[in-house]
Amino acid sequence: MMKTHFLPPVSGLVLCAAVALAARAAASPFATSASGVGTTLGNKETASATALQSADPEWPDAKHTPTGQMFKLPFNVPKLEEIKKTASGWDYSGQIELGTIGADAGERNAQYRMYQDLDEGSYVNHFNLLLQKKDGAFVNVTGGAAGRRDQYYGLNFGRTNSWGVKVFFSETPHVFTDTFKSLWSGIGTGNLVLLPGLTPGGTATTANDTAAVTAAARGATPSTLGLTRKRGGVRLDLTLSSALKAYASYALEKRQGARPFAAVWGNNGGTAPMEIAEPIDYDTQDIAAGVIYSSGLHAFNFRWNTSLFKNKIDTLTLQEPFRIAPQGFTTTPAAGAFTQGRMDLTPSNQAHNARAEYTRKLPDFYKGFVTAVVSAGSMRQDDNLIPSTTVSGLTLPNVTILPGGDWSTLSSLSRTSAKGVIDTRLADLTVSLNPTPELNVKAKARYFETDNNSDPYYAVNPNAVYVDADAATAGNQTRGIAYGGFTGVWGRPLNDGTGSGGVLFGTNPNPTGSIEIANHIYSSKQYRFGPTADYQLTKTSNLTGSAERDVMQRTNRERARTWDDRYKLGYVNRGLFSSTLRASYEFAQRRGSRYVTAYYEDTFSAAFIPMPTTAGTNVTTWAVRNNAGLRNYELSDRNQHTAHLRLDTMVRPNLDAGISVQMRESRYPDAAFGLGKSSQDSANLDLNYQPSPKLNVYGFYSYQQGRNRQASIQQANNVTIGAVTALGVVTPENASIIGPTPGGPFYSLGNQWSAKHTDRNHVLGAGVKQEWGKATLAIDYSYSLGRTRITYDYGIGGAINAANAVFAGDRMPDLAADISYLDASLRFPLTPRLALRLVYRNQWESIRDWHYNRVDTTPVITANVNNPPTLLMLDSGPQDYRVNWFGVMFQIKL
Amino acid sequence: MNSLRFFLDSRFGLVAGGIGALALVSTILARPQTAAPVAAPLNGGAERIGEAVCIACHAPQNKQFSHTQHAGVFRLNPKNEKEKLSCEACHGPGSNHVKEPANRGSLIGFTKEWGTPVAQQTAMCLACHEGGERMFWPGSPHASNQLGCSDCHNPMAKISATGLLKKPTINETCYTCHQQQRAEFAKRSHMPVNEGKLSCVDCHNPHGSTSKALLKNDSVNETCYNCHAEKRGPFLWEHAPVRENCLNCHAAHGSNHDKLLTVARPFSCQQCHDNTNHQSSLYNAGQLVGGGAAPSTRIIGRSCQNCHSQIHGSNHPAGARFQR
Repeated sequence: MMKTHFLPPVSGLVLCAAVALAARAAASPFATSASGVGTTLGNKETASATALQSADPEWPDAKHTPTGQMFKLPFNVPKLEEIKKTASGWDYSGQIELGTIGADAGERNAQYRMYQDLDEGSYVNHFNLLLQKKDGAFVNVTGGAAGRRDQYYGLNFGRTNSWGVKVFFSETPHVFTDTFKSLWSGIGTGNLVLLPGLTPGGTATTANDTAAVTAAARGATPSTLGLTRKRGGVRLDLTLSSALKAYASYALEKRQGARPFAAVWGNNGGTAPMEIAEPIDYDTQDIAAGVIYSSGLHAFNFRWNTSLFKNKIDTLTLQEPFRIAPQGFTTTPAAGAFTQGRMDLTPSNQAHNARAEYTRKLPDFYKGFVTAVVSAGSMRQDDNLIPSTTVSGLTLPNVTILPGGDWSTLSSLSRTSAKGVIDTRLADLTVSLNPTPELNVKAKARYFETDNNSDPYYAVNPNAVYVDADAATAGNQTRGIAYGGFTGVWGRPLNDGTGSGGVLFGTNPNPTGSIEIANHIYSSKQYRFGPTADYQLTKTSNLTGSAERDVMQRTNRERARTWDDRYKLGYVNRGLFSSTLRASYEFAQRRGSRYVTAYYEDTFSAAFIPMPTTAGTNVTTWAVRNNAGLRNYELSDRNQHTAHLRLDTMVRPNLDAGISVQMRESRYPDAAFGLGKSSQDSANLDLNYQPSPKLNVYGFYSYQQGRNRQASIQQANNVTIGAVTALGVVTPENASIIGPTPGGPFYSLGNQWSAKHTDRNHVLGAGVKQEWGKATLAIDYSYSLGRTRITYDYGIGGAINAANAVFAGDRMPDLAADISYLDASLRFPLTPRLALRLVYRNQWESIRDWHYNRVDTTPVITANVNNPPTLLMLDSGPQDYRVNWFGVMFQIKL
Repeated sequence: MNSLRFFLDSRFGLVAGGIGALALVSTILARPQTAAPVAAPLNGGAERIGEAVCIACHAPQNKQFSHTQHAGVFRLNPKNEKEKLSCEACHGPGSNHVKEPANRGSLIGFTKEWGTPVAQQTAMCLACHEGGERMFWPGSPHASNQLGCSDCHNPMAKISATGLLKKPTINETCYTCHQQQRAEFAKRSHMPVNEGKLSCVDCHNPHGSTSKALLKNDSVNETCYNCHAEKRGPFLWEHAPVRENCLNCHAAHGSNHDKLLTVARPFSCQQCHDNTNHQSSLYNAGQLVGGGAAPSTRIIGRSCQNCHSQIHGSNHPAGARFQR
């Protein structure tokens, strides 16, 4: 029996029974195009039902949008006089579609169920009820997928053009895997307890532990890890006058379930990493209110948003089944004491934002206008911190723990809560003028700031000192190291204390420069400004041009300042025969201030432990942070070309075609290493044929290709004072220059490697809708093919030795995904109010992802059963599936 | 001035010249619109005739229109004189059209066939719909590309549940031009757009925005936090590129790779991390399970995130390396 880690769905069957349904498209429940999430209500099956609606036979010939795309023919709707009325004056109409589906609809594959929740058996697909009165009063109830994890409901009522209330509820499943082989009970909670037969902390014989874990993993029933989003809300809209509107809304979203996660042990990590399940129990409350004013010369919007996020499971404690050696620690704790670890899960937080927007027309000044926007926000979290480990009594050589300073207590921290604050500010100004009837010019300026006002966090145990201090007295001691206002022992026990290399002087008396002793505080300011011009060449064609400078100032990054200069040309011609042509090209060039690879020295122990000067001393931990020839791609120089071309043409009055091409190429000229080049190109063709209201045929094809090229150098030799290198003799003065420089002892050019990635995708779609007499057939098909090839170059004996090069070859296996989807529906009206819809779905997916090669049969990956494993792989990754299901649905009209 | 030199010297000149040539040729090739000369603004000289006259000839249109939000406003609860005009509120006074039905200058139309200039169509819509969500329409990417309101909306028929769109859903409406994004949503990992649980307008305001890509929020990250509030932090230990822009690692719409990553792990991480220790190693096919060489945890499964599982930020006091 397969287990599923979801909470039970809310049953909507009772709600559905009372109302009627219409096979209508998804409704907009909540948000607007200006703010908020929640602009659609529906699921995968809504569209299938919608496709069957007949076109209005009385509608005149299909017309085209201003661009030249055919309007969809309207659905066949009743005349007003045909709509039913109640005695109290309500017009009402509605439909419900319900029936049963069978065969493979209940397939459990995670890819199949990623965002949908079908099962065999009875199914209420969709319903809708609309009531209206002559005075504009209305009530609209809609919903679908009753009782499933992708169900949705909406209730709108009010008076048209006066006020309205929207209430909605929607669920979205997100399934991550259906092959998780859990070694623990308590999935979905904050406490994972090893199954019987497995020993927390392992036994004295790791080979036995490995065998036990292997047996448990192989014997475990594959389970599903996934979460369900349940979001409901209410919104009030008021039309106070023709010019003034106001709204207020509240939404609550609950996310519950579990998702794949991982924990690792040992010094610097790397010991026995294991897949675990992160519990998800989140509440997010969104509150918004605003006013909208528009009249004559002025328009004004004000909006307030608050988002309150609560993680109801703060930490995840898990038992681990191996004997993890307490590296670097002394006799305490005893072997086997590391029975468990604890993750600090994502903290609860809140965000607030206020925004004001104003436009003033200037009709007497070149028919211009001015638009100004200011926005201010703040993101905050102040979760209580947890100690570095749950294991008490950890001791380190050279360190004396003072009373109250045990690493398992909060007194071992420099503070007890996170105190995180990031403020954002936006100011935006646009001035628009029309010097001539044909010419519009605009000047735009934008400022956006992300200001991290969090206090720096120092990783220091203020209640510990180095050896021979007075161990009887709590508080700062003279033998603690003072920095940033704190005195104590710096660093932190890694991975619940199973790795002590994170504590300065912890494992041996030698100093080191790479212990993290403080966090990074990142802030940024962005300035964007420039003119645009739009010139009307003819009555049907326009030429646009713009120039823009986009400046980013960052604190605590490798580059303090970058600036992008963008130049863009665009052309639109709506009168090219029966076509509309749109073309644009943009060139963007990013440059910046000096790139400093080791920008963050004040967050490492190098900040207060000077680099040794003795000849023969390894100073790599001071000298090297990253390859000095590498550039982070978001900061590096970049030349980018982007071109778009689009042609919409009315081939015939009942056949239109759309052809588009997009190309983007980015080169990073100063990045000798890191990302050097990337590109993304696509070409698309759409055809739409509507010879009559009874027949519609469409087809489309898209091709996409993405390429990336990156380079790196595998580390070689340490940086040692006095060593003779290709860049000179290493001295304390030049070690930080020679160390990270390509061609030096650490980044030996013989160890270079590079990789190229090529993504190729083909997406093909086609469909037909045909009415024969009273019967309607609709078929929709799509096929998506994705391939990614990663090749690499390296020197044998450099990045990969000769023995391993035999296995490495020159590329990874291709990543491949094939996704096919066929939906067919046939509808017969049985009576004026009852119709039968037969549904057939064929859906399959095949994914080859080398990350998961053979892991389903090898959950415990180990080179030596006497050591903790290389990896405990409990998720088998994406699996193929193929489903065929049938449905018999009845559509009942009121 | 380097950028200016590049601007002049590079292929920008070539492409700019190409667009200029394209503009010249296509403008010359462009035949006059099939429509007769268009109406002057507000169809000068015409008088109101009332919707009953319109309906007398346009019964099929009226049947569809009667089900729209527009009809509800105009007919059931108009707030001002303009809204009471019904048909003529949008199409302008109809007396000239009655006299010369085929004269496309006699009325404002919203189809390519009718030929009313897009600017005039848009002005007519904005006469009621100015401000609010459309505050930033002038100068927006869609406006600059000369889209008219009826390129997305069909005010005459209720095809979509709300919004009077030309297609049944928001996404289908957007896909008519944004096929690239439609293809991305068809990839292995994608946002639940085609599953009907998310729409393009949940992230983008097609009517204009102060942010790039018509985002509804002030930044990419603030947009993502709307659904992924758990990633908002601020965390005790922050990961700089994560804080700056989610799109540094993720594709917004869909990807060939797990978790909408732009590049497969570990290569995605190694585009920035050539640090000391294991980050600089070339992980390869030989290190997969059954690859021949010793398997590596750094390339199998979740790759880097087998250890650095808190890659979006950690609140653990020992989480500097995102392992707790």
